[in-house]
Amino acid sequence: MQRRKTNYLVNATPTFEVLSQDEIEAIYYSALTVLYETGVRVYAEEGIQLAYSGGAIIEDRTDDSALVKIPPWLVDKALATLPGKVVTRGPDRKYKMELYKDAITFGPGSDTPFTIDPYTGKRRRATYKDVKNFARLTQALPNLDFHMSLGIVQDSAVGTYDRWQYLAMLEGTTKPINITAVDLDGLKDQLEMAYIRVGGKDEWRKGPLFSLYIEPVSPLSHSEEVIQKLIFATDNEIPFVYTPCPLAGATAPTTLAGTAVQALTESLLGIVLSQLRKPGAPMIIGGLMSNMDMRTTVYCYGSPEMALLSAAYTQITKWLGVPMYETAGCSDSKMFDEQAAMEASMNIATAALVGGNMIHDVGYLEQGLTSSPDMMVASNEIISMVKRILKGIPVTDETKALDVIDNVGPGGHYLDHDHTYNRFKTEIWRPDLIDRQVWENWESAGSKTFRDRVHDRVVEILEAEEEPLLDENMYKELRRVCELADERHKSEELDYNMFG
Amino acid sequence: MSEIYEQLSTAILEGDASKTPRLVNRGLKQGISPKELLDNGLIVGMDEVGVRFKRGDMFVPEVLMSADAMSAGMLILRPLLVASGAKLLGKIVMGTVKGDLHDIGKNLVSMMCEGAGFEIVNLGFNVEPDVFIKAIKEHQPAIVGMSAMLTTTMRAMGHTIKAIEEAGLRETVKVFVGGAPVDKEFADTIGADGYGSNAPGGAELAKQLVGAA
Repeated sequence: MQRRKTNYLVNATPTFEVLSQDEIEAIYYSALTVLYETGVRVYAEEGIQLAYSGGAIIEDRTDDSALVKIPPWLVDKALATLPGKVVTRGPDRKYKMELYKDAITFGPGSDTPFTIDPYTGKRRRATYKDVKNFARLTQALPNLDFHMSLGIVQDSAVGTYDRWQYLAMLEGTTKPINITAVDLDGLKDQLEMAYIRVGGKDEWRKGPLFSLYIEPVSPLSHSEEVIQKLIFATDNEIPFVYTPCPLAGATAPTTLAGTAVQALTESLLGIVLSQLRKPGAPMIIGGLMSNMDMRTTVYCYGSPEMALLSAAYTQITKWLGVPMYETAGCSDSKMFDEQAAMEASMNIATAALVGGNMIHDVGYLEQGLTSSPDMMVASNEIISMVKRILKGIPVTDETKALDVIDNVGPGGHYLDHDHTYNRFKTEIWRPDLIDRQVWENWESAGSKTFRDRVHDRVVEILEAEEEPLLDENMYKELRRVCELADERHKSEELDYNMFG
Repeated sequence: MSEIYEQLSTAILEGDASKTPRLVNRGLKQGISPKELLDNGLIVGMDEVGVRFKRGDMFVPEVLMSADAMSAGMLILRPLLVASGAKLLGKIVMGTVKGDLHDIGKNLVSMMCEGAGFEIVNLGFNVEPDVFIKAIKEHQPAIVGMSAMLTTTMRAMGHTIKAIEEAGLRETVKVFVGGAPVDKEFADTIGADGYGSNAPGGAELAKQLVGAA
């Protein structure tokens, strides 16, 4: 029997904190001050009315917007009905993304204009085929729990690319997806496609097939499109991510605490509106926060500040009881190289250790402008490694193994001991792509670098023969939604091909 | 006389927007021409800012402070220069195109261009093609700058250029475009005259477009 002294504390996992409880509260109550005294600008009458009906103060009206000030009690009321757990499921119902305090899931990022071609290594605009291929990679990689496009489909009509993008993803994966929508019409079409894929609204309600990405613009601005999406998602039981992307020093204070206050203010507006519209509406908040690089003016995806801010914000969301849209697996490097691996390792470890929930942007390079299959495969290995660290070191009589030590004694060995035989597979992490061979064997296997091995895996996954995930009729039905959308929006397109 | 030039260029370099106009006024009182104050003081300072920024010794917030100081000086000098018939860099009409609320990049380019000596007409964001056209008619700019952050709103850049063409104004202005998803190839496709991949490069590009670099 396990014997322990009194007052004995167990660390079942490592713990990691950036902020103390008091600091979290200081940031939260400051956000309430900003929301009440500075206010946020809302560019949609529907949103302004919704806030007003709930008790918000409306000031400084313009033709298309108003300043909305939310009193603290209204936020309290909203938080009281906000769900702490949000779940989506893939078309294959065994794949679940369950988001709640300290539950981590990983997935790619969305909508990069560019991608690295897996065969030429060249950067170019992303296409339908790329988006499908990225979905196939997510399907094949065991440490990715949900999917995002990793490319904007740019070989379709421009104003309706979101439907094609969703179709491409459905062709490649049966895991849950976080979608983007061009506008409200794009969202409606994709919901229709999801109903087709999952078999109707009742089935959707047992586990929504997708969540929706919604991004208010920092500082403190909420566009018409954002509010329309929020309301539609709320009405239709679509879980959604409400994430501003404040840029410390440019669209938010350069001090990270100030950026966190502002981001939280922006997210709280989303929480208040959604809960006013429908108490209990599921949402996830971000958070995608970083600093502007003051030499190049870019949004840093690999900076220590990005990882640190996201971790701090995760703690705030845990305290609020709302799932967090964390950010990791991304880099500012232009190719999958040493910098990319280093930055991804840092931010994946930080996001996982702090307990971020929907950890996205795996596969991002170049400040989120380019996606890389190699970065995705390498991150899968990094996540695997980090997951081992998260398991910590259980300290029990059995794991301390005093009897085994006594049994082997000075000068013996443990290799053929039952204790080793029974436990080495669960205790010790085994790498997949990381190399630990002796020199001669590594050399005779072709002297391959980590980069080579990662790329080989990419090609192996992409060239594997698979049964289509969508049967012919289903594909046709889904495709028809896309084609009808193209037809409806034809007049908005340019009369030449935008992307050559 | 050379002392005031040096003080002016130092004030610009240090981003001192209160000292710069004082020095400009002092120079004018001493009988130095507006053109000489501009060329030997303000521009010398801004050129050094450019050199230091490229070298990595100055950063964007510092460059913007210098640009502010430059603008404060130009506020006094511009009307005098115009009156004396001196050739100025001209105006740039700037806006984030229809459907897009992303403002920061366009504002950054505006500030950089202002620092380089252009006069900026900032139309804000979500700017309809008509509003661009109205502004071109009203302000007769040398350049129109457009920004977009989304592929869907990049399309609006194409629509806006087309609208400018249809209004018969395309020949009167140069057009430059920028924004995260925009690239040179796209700029060429929609018939823009220039593309800037980053805000600091924007001012350089603007000068090239009017033949001043």
